[in-house]
Amino acid sequence: MNHVSLLGICCNWSPYACYNAAGMARLKMPPNFRLVRVMCIGRINQALILRAFEYGADGVILLECKDEDCRYGPGPEVGHQNVQRVRRLLRLLGIGQKRLVERSFATHEKEEFVRALWEFSELIQTMGPNPAKPRQELEVS
Amino acid sequence: MKENGQELDRIIREHSLYQCLECGKCSASCPRQLAGKEYSPRLLAHKLIAEREDEAFIESSVWECLTCGLCGERCPSGVNFSRLIMDMRVLLAGTKGLKGYRSHDGALHSWMRIMTSPDLQQERLGWVHAGIRVATYGPVAFFTGCAPYFDIFFAGINVDTLSIARDSVRLLNFLGITPVLLSNERCCGHDLLWTGDRENFETLCRLNYEEFKDAGIKEVVVSCPECFYILSEFMPEIIPTFDIKVTLLIELLEQEFRKGGMAFRPFKHKVTYQDPCRLGRVCGRYDPPRNLLSMIPEMKFREMENSGRSAICCGNNAFINCDSYSKRIQVQRLREARATDADMLITACPKCMIHLTCTMRDPLRRDSLAMEIKDLVSVLADQIEWTGK
Repeated sequence: MNHVSLLGICCNWSPYACYNAAGMARLKMPPNFRLVRVMCIGRINQALILRAFEYGADGVILLECKDEDCRYGPGPEVGHQNVQRVRRLLRLLGIGQKRLVERSFATHEKEEFVRALWEFSELIQTMGPNPAKPRQELEVS
Repeated sequence: MKENGQELDRIIREHSLYQCLECGKCSASCPRQLAGKEYSPRLLAHKLIAEREDEAFIESSVWECLTCGLCGERCPSGVNFSRLIMDMRVLLAGTKGLKGYRSHDGALHSWMRIMTSPDLQQERLGWVHAGIRVATYGPVAFFTGCAPYFDIFFAGINVDTLSIARDSVRLLNFLGITPVLLSNERCCGHDLLWTGDRENFETLCRLNYEEFKDAGIKEVVVSCPECFYILSEFMPEIIPTFDIKVTLLIELLEQEFRKGGMAFRPFKHKVTYQDPCRLGRVCGRYDPPRNLLSMIPEMKFREMENSGRSAICCGNNAFINCDSYSKRIQVQRLREARATDADMLITACPKCMIHLTCTMRDPLRRDSLAMEIKDLVSVLADQIEWTGK
């Protein structure tokens, strides 16, 4: 089995509630998965997604609220736009569009949430490690 | 700065900073200072020589500079300030980490670093269409640069940087050259070098050289001034065996044009020209663009108030430190362009085009700044024709 590093960027509201509920229900989640909680997926810009790949992620999943549920307004729309653009950049870079996934959840969908994580994990496992990992990093800030 | 004392001495000596006369011409001409930023090249020079303990000042100043080279142009002692800043950034990045506020949160630098991966298999040639002839192996290559990436990233401000690549290949085809386009060409690394990341920059240079060699390249034609600067000056420095000829597209074109047989169709526009800093002040190519423009009939060419050696920067370099002062420089530059009564601004660098287009879209000043902006290569490719004479 390939060892892959997965990153989830999770909105604090509906998806995080799902994550919390899934944890309470002791649903099994994929290993080697890191979750970053942000207040809204609208906070995430193209640079932050690209940076995840620069730092060696093999796959990134954006976990966001349903369009109509956003606590702030345009969060998920901003997410869709960024995902669309970054996917095109990833394709140019030869990393592949499929390594960036976007899923949205309502507050009660803990099973769907866990299933989405597993599907994503399996997808990246079958694709294997990201071919375009930079050799070195030089970044202190 | 104590721990880097010797290294600092070397940098200062190499760029003859000890010859500083404290005349202040650098600060008096610095566009960033004139825009009101608390930044002074002369004070930085003084601190580097005499007050090295003021690390906070030195560090912040080193990352402030636009590296446009206007100060170096005016300096009576010939201090190449832009290169001094570059060396200082490499030094500081190595000891204190990369600093400087990166525009677009560093997305561009991210993809440049991703390109240092040796196993990269890019899909960057999607823009090649049936109308142009390209090859995969041969003696002459065209260096596309970051155009395909910019095209996606800056789609929001409607900058068509890919048209520069297409028009360059069209011009080469017109001259009977079928250029090789490398599917795995990397970024030239200019922006990484100018943000102090020398290690990744050198990796990019080596990878590019391998790509050239694998495709049997003897000559690389470049249209972007930054790529030209890096390929012609830095690559031979990093790769001692570098034996590839680097040609600037507009120079090649001028040379071929003078042989005769071709002409430009009339172009009924009043135009003005923005000298890119890397083409003009750094590589000294003031004349080729102007010569080519002067050959186009019925076109009225007007210089801006500050042009040629005094040309003002497009406001940003290496995608760091874009702020309200950059905007101020850009607004001033566009006002100069509008004051010439020209209806089209011609540039020769995709980055000038990106930065100035961005400013034109300022919602507050939109109508007062907007004008058509086009790359020199695109104008030439649209107007050139064979006459057989």
